[in-house]
Amino acid sequence: MLTYIIRRVLILIPMAFVICFLVYLGLELTPGDAVSHMINPDAAGSMNPAQLEALRQSLGLGQPFHVRFWSWFTNLVQGNFGYSMSGGVPISNIIATRLPATLELAAVALVFSTVIGSLLGVVSALKRGSKTDSALTVIGMLGVSIPEFFFGLVAISIFALNLGWFPVGGRSMPGYVTLWDRLPHMVMPAMVLSIMLTAGVMRYARSSMLDALSRDFIKTARSKGLPEWRVNLLHGFRVALTPVVVLIGFRLPVLIGGSVIIEQVFQWPGIGNEFISAVRSQDYPVVMTIALLSVMAVLVASLIVDILTAVIDPRVRLGE
Amino acid sequence: MTATQDIAISVRDLKTFFYTNNRCNKALNGVSFDIKKGKTLCIVGESGCGKSVTAASIMQLLPTLSRIEQGEIIYHADRGDIPLHALEKNGRHMRRIRGAEIAMIFQDPMTALNPVYSVGFQIKESLRYHMKMVGRAAHQKAISLLKEMGIALPEKRVNDFPHRYSGGMRQRAMIAMAMACSPKVLIADEPTTALDVTIQAQIFELMDKLKREHGTGIMLITHDMGVVAELADDVAVMYMGNIVEAGTVDEVLRQPTHPYTKALLASVPVLGKGRNQDIKAIRGSTPDPLNRPKGCQFADRCDFAVAQCQTMPEETRITPTHRVMCWRYKELVPNG
Repeated sequence: MLTYIIRRVLILIPMAFVICFLVYLGLELTPGDAVSHMINPDAAGSMNPAQLEALRQSLGLGQPFHVRFWSWFTNLVQGNFGYSMSGGVPISNIIATRLPATLELAAVALVFSTVIGSLLGVVSALKRGSKTDSALTVIGMLGVSIPEFFFGLVAISIFALNLGWFPVGGRSMPGYVTLWDRLPHMVMPAMVLSIMLTAGVMRYARSSMLDALSRDFIKTARSKGLPEWRVNLLHGFRVALTPVVVLIGFRLPVLIGGSVIIEQVFQWPGIGNEFISAVRSQDYPVVMTIALLSVMAVLVASLIVDILTAVIDPRVRLGE
Repeated sequence: MTATQDIAISVRDLKTFFYTNNRCNKALNGVSFDIKKGKTLCIVGESGCGKSVTAASIMQLLPTLSRIEQGEIIYHADRGDIPLHALEKNGRHMRRIRGAEIAMIFQDPMTALNPVYSVGFQIKESLRYHMKMVGRAAHQKAISLLKEMGIALPEKRVNDFPHRYSGGMRQRAMIAMAMACSPKVLIADEPTTALDVTIQAQIFELMDKLKREHGTGIMLITHDMGVVAELADDVAVMYMGNIVEAGTVDEVLRQPTHPYTKALLASVPVLGKGRNQDIKAIRGSTPDPLNRPKGCQFADRCDFAVAQCQTMPEETRITPTHRVMCWRYKELVPNG
């Protein structure tokens, strides 16, 4: 098991390097360079080309691609992501303030959707054909197919504007900093983010559970005289879990990079919101860093999925 | 007739029906037989004749859309007779018997073991629930069971997962699991269909040994006549939900009376007779189970059918042990 994990982590290193390279290549291929972004077009027209060239040289832009990539990469490894073009703030600062907000939301949504989703899915599978199952199926389909911004707007309209239970948006009121104070702010975005995920997990857990329950070993387990709960949970659910874990694992990067819409709807100061403003102001270094972060999240998520599936399903442990 | 104390399970006039799309498939239409202690009863018949349904009925492991409609299954336990057909499907009483007193092994050992638990864990599950045996004692018992089933290095193999076992070894592990609580009856539903011939022989040898050493009554479902000749003490031939002929192995194989049994035996190729031997396939095919013939189920394919066959024949005893369901049995009894 340990060798398996070590091997998976070692495979990650060259993959991460290649991804960094591709991201930097993307940055290189965008039209213009740092100088053309730094100086506003009106001023650039009146500037001496020699001056522009001198500025380029002073910024190190005259050096060949691979040299620049290497210096960018070594900085990256040391945690220095460069500077934002609008405002010149170190990107690592931006990430440090924005990422916790996003992670907070993602963690709540992930835990909630995993627990509730698989629970409802299992109930649905065990009571197949019943009214509960039909109701859950309909709710699940609605949850999967209705876009989340719609749920967000509906939630704001009902719970914030009409009932006044929760604040409309934001992460915290000025001056209130404890987790308890932030909780009311978190409820709506976290729940809305959870809806789609929960529905997806539920649908998946249901079909996976039904598949597991129709297998021969369930009959074997029953023929041994085991009680139903043990047949369903230990023999059925344990086997049904693998595909569900894979699904949840691959939703992880979506939660980190892709809660853009939810963060926008609820004015949540996370990475997603930062991403939108960076794209709007053509702040390439920030956009690239966030892209890099999302891709890394995918890598880490797939590592976690691989390890978890190996824990759950002994057939996966090929490294032994 | 055998004395009652030698009988482990007696099945009387069992009817199990399947319901699909508001139609009823009479999968078992009045089946009676006894499983004797320390004897092997072979149930033979072609696919879909109700062999597996019989096994599932005894174990109360029928699928959701089917139920025992009529008849009785009596398990003659040491503590008294228990009517299995009247027990709640997955209730406490049925669960106490399943695995502990009546155990079952299945057709495909590749899928019958749970892939995510070690073989030892799955054996120990039975021990925990029926013998209240846990921890080191259960582990030792699991090892000795595997050893008895002829698995090499059982101390190491007990912790292995099923995917590291070969097909034959998995079936041995299945038998170890079934034998864990020394059941009175072992029901084997085509246990070697998925295995190759040499392994088949080994598995059957193992089952025969268990029968002799533990006095286990075995109900073996098969469609291999060679296996029947080799292992069976009693034989029941099934066709479309009825036992058309039953008796001791000598009676059924040496004096087959029902036209179906005769046809079945005539369709078995004999090794060494060469490729020109006269194998008679049974003409026609089995009728649609949802649209059965009124009388004898075999009449349409039978060479001896007469007008009388349009009504269901009675079960008739030729000898105290040999019974047959055919109108014309008198003319068809060999040597008599």
